[in-house]
Amino acid sequence: MSANRWFATGNFFSAYRDEQRIFTTHLDRAIFITFLAALFIWPLCFEVSSKYMLVLDNILIAMVAIIGLNLVTGFAGLISIGHAAFVGVGAYTLALLARTIGDSHVIITHAWPLMLLACGAMGAVFGGFVGLPALRLKHLYLAIATLSFQMIFQWTINFLPLFNQGQTIPVGRVFWFTGEVSRRDHYFFWYYVTLTIVVIFGLSVRNLLRTRYGRSLVAVRDNDRAADAMGMHPGLTKVYAFGLAGFFAGVAGGLHAYLYRGVGIESFMLHQSITYLAMAIVGGLGTLTGAFFGPAAIRLLDLQVENLVGWSAQFLPATMNLATALKPLTFGLVIVLFLMFEPRGIANWWRICRVYIKLWPFRY
Amino acid sequence: MNTLTVSDVTLAFGGLYALSDVNLTIQAGLITSIIGPNGAGKTSMLNCISGFYHPTRGAIRFGDKVLTHASPHQVSNLGIARAFQNIELFRGMTVLDNLMLARHRKLDYRFWHALIYMGRASRQEALNRAFVEEIIDFMELEPYRKQVVGSLSYGVQKRVEVARALTLDPELLLLDEPMAGMNIEEKEDMVRFVLDIQKERRTTVVLVEHDLGVVMDISDQIYVLDFGQLIGSGRPEEVARNPKVIEAYIGED
Repeated sequence: MSANRWFATGNFFSAYRDEQRIFTTHLDRAIFITFLAALFIWPLCFEVSSKYMLVLDNILIAMVAIIGLNLVTGFAGLISIGHAAFVGVGAYTLALLARTIGDSHVIITHAWPLMLLACGAMGAVFGGFVGLPALRLKHLYLAIATLSFQMIFQWTINFLPLFNQGQTIPVGRVFWFTGEVSRRDHYFFWYYVTLTIVVIFGLSVRNLLRTRYGRSLVAVRDNDRAADAMGMHPGLTKVYAFGLAGFFAGVAGGLHAYLYRGVGIESFMLHQSITYLAMAIVGGLGTLTGAFFGPAAIRLLDLQVENLVGWSAQFLPATMNLATALKPLTFGLVIVLFLMFEPRGIANWWRICRVYIKLWPFRY
Repeated sequence: MNTLTVSDVTLAFGGLYALSDVNLTIQAGLITSIIGPNGAGKTSMLNCISGFYHPTRGAIRFGDKVLTHASPHQVSNLGIARAFQNIELFRGMTVLDNLMLARHRKLDYRFWHALIYMGRASRQEALNRAFVEEIIDFMELEPYRKQVVGSLSYGVQKRVEVARALTLDPELLLLDEPMAGMNIEEKEDMVRFVLDIQKERRTTVVLVEHDLGVVMDISDQIYVLDFGQLIGSGRPEEVARNPKVIEAYIGED
């Protein structure tokens, strides 16, 4: 290694294990750790309204879901149009439990980390099961199979009294070491929980992607005939990809249920699946950082549109429903613009910025 | 070292017989070539051996194991690697990642090791990376190590294709036209690689090739296919004198 590991610009590896590092310089790592620390500390320094905290919670939950979607659609190349349904599977796992043993049962309120894992496990089981057609189907045909799962999910929830026919099923408030999490602290509490989960999942997936379990995903995307010749079962690898995506979606569903203290079908409809796909595309398919940028960009865009509509209400007649028109319009426009001008997503801008700064003052 | 035996293999697509009653024996440690005019069934033969097709009748054995109905990944795990005719690399990945993928089965860690990475997964990755570097060194791919495969030239991609098959550390290597579309210089390099693979790495090589000059020069044993039938076999000089082979290639007087 070079003498100075803070500002090293080139490669000075002398062992293969040196090259496995995620952060090539100490500076990279220090910046990353500082950034994480800032994310944890800032809500303590400022007065943040519950409204914005809810938006942030939503972004973080979407990140958990998109990490999963990115694994199956970005890395393994299998288009999933039913991701919201997998999120729903997680949420309804919790809802069903709440309905059978009571929404404030000690298991739900005290053992919530275990519950989140259970939601993830259920999501993984459903993901793997829905992924089974991948053993035979490819490309668009497989995408339709995931779409059909979305439909089946919606119908099942809507018509079964067990799930309250899609009406809200309440979930109780959780307990922390300091006692029940109060209404005032609710969104803060879930901000910290979700942020911790995002960090843990992000690092785990980063690790996964540099091992054979990550490479096999990219292998079946790029060429599944060759993947077969390399000694992996391409079909089972795809099922595994769906299972993995289902796990992340399931955990996101569990978080969603706890955050809104209830589960209703409207959060897991087809348009939500499409939104997830859009987040993955805008963030950058096949990149881990994309899973963080995408949800943030789309949700903040939504927020801005809402603000704009609120502002325009001052001088526009009340009968004009600008919000219903503008939301889908901006959403569609953003996707089209990204597909046309930056199909690699925001993650690519991030990559360019990093290289630029790294090379500065030389030209990129 | 195991011998590959193909006995009475027939491969039918409906009424079309791609292979009919073909018998081959591929001796361990030698270079065996399968030649024949276009559409003779050479690639079908390789597909049968490597598990992409399953013969309609007949049996394929490798040592004492039966490969007749094995899938490609099972065949590959038995120590039979294959380089494809049309380049089938993972185009979006670097040369290094392509080769590391070939170590998929040899990377001995579990899912939870991969999540934590530190410790076992890291050690195993480094260990297999060393093996991959050995192959990179062997196939002279050092300048392209970190380049994305899709951006490399055709000749280099072919070499990566062979290197990837070699990274599986096979007993038997199936090469499907490794020299197709190459210029003289690249061909000479590739011939040298094939000979080195046989001699230095002690790997049995099965070569499907159209360049008869190359085939006659380096093969220990040649099988000639025409319209799915075996029309001749033997040492290169025997095959060159075989009237049926001459007829298949040049036509009758």
